[in-house]
Amino acid sequence: MQGEPLLKIENLVKHFNVRLGAFGERGATVHALDDVNFEIIEGETLSLVGESGCGKSTTGFTILNLHQATSGKVIYKGENIATFDDKAMRPLRRDLQIVFQDPYSTLNPRMTIGEAVGEPILFHKLCTKAELPDRINRLLTDVGLPPRFAGRYPHELSGGQRQRVAIARALACEPKFIVCDEAISALDVSIQAQIINLLLDLQEKYGLTYLFIAHDLAVVRHISDRVGVMYLGRLAELATREQLFANPLHPYTQALLSAVPEADPVLEKTRQRQVLQGDVPSPLNPPTGCRFHTRCPIAQEVCAQTIPEWRQIEPGHMVACHMVPGGLHA
Amino acid sequence: MATIPMTPAELDEPKTSLWRDAWYRLVRNKLAIFGLFVIIVLAFAAAFGPYLTPYDFLSQDLDARNAAPSWAHLFGTDDLGRDVFSRVIYGTRTAFVVAIVVTAIAVTIGVALGAMAGFFGGWLDRIIMWLTDVTMSVPNLLLVVVINASLKAPLAAWMEAQYMATLNPFFRETIWVDFILVFGSMALISWPPYARLVRAQVLSIRSRPYITAARALGLTTRIILMRYVVPNAVGPLIVSVSAGLGTAMVLESAFSFLGVGVNPPTPSWGNMISDGLRVWQHYPHLLAAPAAVLGLATVGFSFLGDGLNDALNPRGSK
Amino acid sequence: MNAMTMSAPERLLDVKGLSIEIDTRRGPATIVDGINLHVNKGETLGIVGESGCGKSLTMLSLMRLLPNKIKVKSGTANFAGRDLLTMSKSELRKVRGGQVGFVFQDPMTSLNPVMRIGDQICEPLIYHKAMKRADARIRATELLRLVGIPSPAERLDAFPHELSGGMRQRVMIAIGLACDPELLIADEPTTALDVTIQAQIVDLVKELRVKLGMSVVWITHDLALIAGLVDRVAVLYAGTVVEDAPVEELFANPSHPYTRGLLASIPKLSDVAANRLSSIGGTPPEPGRRPLGCPFAPRCQLAEDICRQSVPPLEPLGGSGPHRVACFVAQRQLEAA
Ligand SMILES: Nc1ncnc2c1ncn2[C@@H]1O[C@H](COP(=O)(O)OP(=O)(O)OP(=O)(O)O)[C@@H](O)[C@H]1O
Ligand SMILES: Nc1ncnc2c1ncn2[C@@H]1O[C@H](COP(=O)(O)OP(=O)(O)O)[C@@H](O)[C@H]1O
Ligand code: SF4
Ligand code: SF4
Ligand SMILES: [Mg+2]
Ligand SMILES: [Mg+2]
Repeated sequence: MQGEPLLKIENLVKHFNVRLGAFGERGATVHALDDVNFEIIEGETLSLVGESGCGKSTTGFTILNLHQATSGKVIYKGENIATFDDKAMRPLRRDLQIVFQDPYSTLNPRMTIGEAVGEPILFHKLCTKAELPDRINRLLTDVGLPPRFAGRYPHELSGGQRQRVAIARALACEPKFIVCDEAISALDVSIQAQIINLLLDLQEKYGLTYLFIAHDLAVVRHISDRVGVMYLGRLAELATREQLFANPLHPYTQALLSAVPEADPVLEKTRQRQVLQGDVPSPLNPPTGCRFHTRCPIAQEVCAQTIPEWRQIEPGHMVACHMVPGGLHA
Repeated sequence: MATIPMTPAELDEPKTSLWRDAWYRLVRNKLAIFGLFVIIVLAFAAAFGPYLTPYDFLSQDLDARNAAPSWAHLFGTDDLGRDVFSRVIYGTRTAFVVAIVVTAIAVTIGVALGAMAGFFGGWLDRIIMWLTDVTMSVPNLLLVVVINASLKAPLAAWMEAQYMATLNPFFRETIWVDFILVFGSMALISWPPYARLVRAQVLSIRSRPYITAARALGLTTRIILMRYVVPNAVGPLIVSVSAGLGTAMVLESAFSFLGVGVNPPTPSWGNMISDGLRVWQHYPHLLAAPAAVLGLATVGFSFLGDGLNDALNPRGSK
Repeated sequence: MNAMTMSAPERLLDVKGLSIEIDTRRGPATIVDGINLHVNKGETLGIVGESGCGKSLTMLSLMRLLPNKIKVKSGTANFAGRDLLTMSKSELRKVRGGQVGFVFQDPMTSLNPVMRIGDQICEPLIYHKAMKRADARIRATELLRLVGIPSPAERLDAFPHELSGGMRQRVMIAIGLACDPELLIADEPTTALDVTIQAQIVDLVKELRVKLGMSVVWITHDLALIAGLVDRVAVLYAGTVVEDAPVEELFANPSHPYTRGLLASIPKLSDVAANRLSSIGGTPPEPGRRPLGCPFAPRCQLAEDICRQSVPPLEPLGGSGPHRVACFVAQRQLEAA
């Protein structure tokens, strides 16, 4: 992969301590993210996919230091920002932005659209008070909203329009990097396409880098340069889009691809699907060895004992599985 | 074919704000409007009543004792020949003053403690919540009776001593002892629900996605508290304060009734109910008048509180 | 309506002219506007539409389960010879959960959290089939096995929160199937689930409907999901049916501009990965703010003057046949061709 890495994620771990039982008498640890390694290259769209609860959002939040990492590094401009406190992070927040899944709850219901978009501009002193209305107008136009929306409240907008506001707000800081955490998952199909196109246009216009978190592989295939597949807090596979969709190596990636329905009745009726049985195990008590071994159709004995190594199969194609050529059992 | 008769121009009508929407929902709620009306009338009576009442609440007409309602005495007179209507109106003033002062103290304590508990968490939260639980688990009346019994005499004695020493007329008014004790003890038992509510609000707002979004923009804790947490927490607080005012009035009456509240001759609905109860078989109007007004006030506040609750909740369904 | 009745299959459910209204601050607004729908015996009908277009309310109205301020204004819903909308309460109760089974959108909130799942499955059996408790439990075990829950006998005593989302949805399906319904209505049964679990549930329903010979109505916003599952698709837009066709026909020859736009905006795994997706501009109208003529006109690239003045009727494409579409331009283009 050409290009400079913008962010380097090294051995990132995030555990949540939770209290269980009716009176919170038992402590337990959620293994939300374990030993994750990857780079995000300037100007690319890197997607993360996986079932719900597999740690996609946790990855995004921990990279942005919205969750304090348990251990590991997030290297940005040569510094490990995972150890920064709120104050040290503040100037960096301009560069590193996020758009959330649920456009209904990420806007303050008591602030107008204009206030919401203007707030980060004023806070980071990106322009004078006099220039502010102009600036807000331009941002709203950028995301395809009429400037007269500035006076409206979030509850007066549709889901797609709110997501545009959230994007405008992220853009207001003139960021370099945006985490899109399921930014289109809550939207209707016809609106999803609008927002995807908007994100692509903005990327082109401002040279943005995206970490695009999603669970819909078909969408991911359309917009990403590279794709990472996560399972239960670990990366299972990471490759360029072409590599991953043409030659998925990890059994979990194959199963995910096979579960995606195709909008084609003729194909669907004849297609042989490999349906994954069972549910994702609990991250409170993840399986030993390869975390996928309880559901993996080709699991061997070694899988339950040894954690598969995160290794490169071909240039740019990483995988963690014993059964892929070169692994412990292949 | 069924269509909606609406032209595109109408479709783009200017929209309203959250508060105006809430107001709209409120005025459509007949019960809430009834409550609001009752409260406004009573508040008017409390504010201007003393200038409007036909008689002074103390003036006795010993020729017309225990008179039944008539044009001269709308609600009749009591055993000392005092006009009940005038006394009820003065009682309204007592009830409002007590309710407002008590609620204000309780809300201040509750909001401060609740917000700290919710925002900072940890041991502070545990201590405050422990305090809340303890206060709530002691029976209210018991607490008030104990406070009154143990503090009233010493406080009165202290006031007496101060008066002797300074000759400041302020210290001669034993009514202040009454009020301080009533306000103090009632506020003491009233703050925990507010603390709990505010803590729950702050806890839930703290974990709302828009707070995370604000943090992601790099905003400071102070801005987040002022612009995100507080405005979103006031709605439920308004609702609960409205209901709390009604509750405070009932409490005041209950305490006066039990003799630990405002002392005669200051007219208070509780006192009047207490007096009326002794003779209600013979002079039902002496019980009926204050009881009915107290009932009306409570119902008014509770309807308004319910209405506000529905109105401030945009998904408003019950 | 036309001469196509010769081999017309028997209709199990026949909804005609169904309109649903809601009380808003601007007065009543029509949410569902004169819908015509039918389900044949043994057929699986897919109802597709975006959020808020009235899918759930249509189905709820059939069981007379509409929320407070929302009312059926007109229409009939003939089920096995009787009108669901006017039949007596006691008859209706026999239909609900008996002849018609329901599976709701959210498996988290549609199960009673304080009741063991076994009891929840037994309830309709005891009520509708007058079964003894012990027999009902045996049947409940069978049902759990049928929907693919491992060690069903032990699971009977589990509470909903002890099950995963996918398993809860299986339990919902088991409850829906308890009384051997003739019709199973599933309202977005997989929307809250992961793709892998969704695939499990889709396979399960496919298998069950053949095994039990029932009709199914599957409501969804995901056209791709139902491509391999249903026999016929009705596309809803802003409370109207805009297109209704056999599934192969719909995908091969989508005729309504909205259906076309929808199909084009779905990214596919199998076609060339172009970066930009084609999309439909604008947003669907809110109820009560719909335009005068064709509800799709403000977003439609083909819209003409007539579209803004009158509502296009849902009519068979080319005058006859099972492919019906509500669009002036699509109908005219076919005539011209
Ligand atoms: N209880 C309610 N009170 C007010 N409006 C409602 C209520 N339920 C539904 N509506 C409105 O009725 C319209 C149709 O709702 P419905 O639930 O049928 O949509 P749907 O097609 O099932 O959408 P989804 O895909 O989101 O489930 C929407 O505009 C919705 O906002
Ligand atoms: N604040 C939190 N406290 C405890 N557990 C959490 C918290 N946030 C996430 N988790 C857990 O971490 C795991 C990964 O969550 P998440 O990253 O949100 O998954 P995804 O985004 O892939 O759906 C899940 O099991 C989730 O329940
Ligand atoms: S390591 Fe084993 S269990 Fe894990 S994916 Fe590979 S084959 Fe399956
Ligand atoms: S009737 Fe007109 S506006 Fe409606 S879909 Fe057809 S062409 Fe478009
Ligand atoms: Mg997530
Ligand atoms: Mg629905």
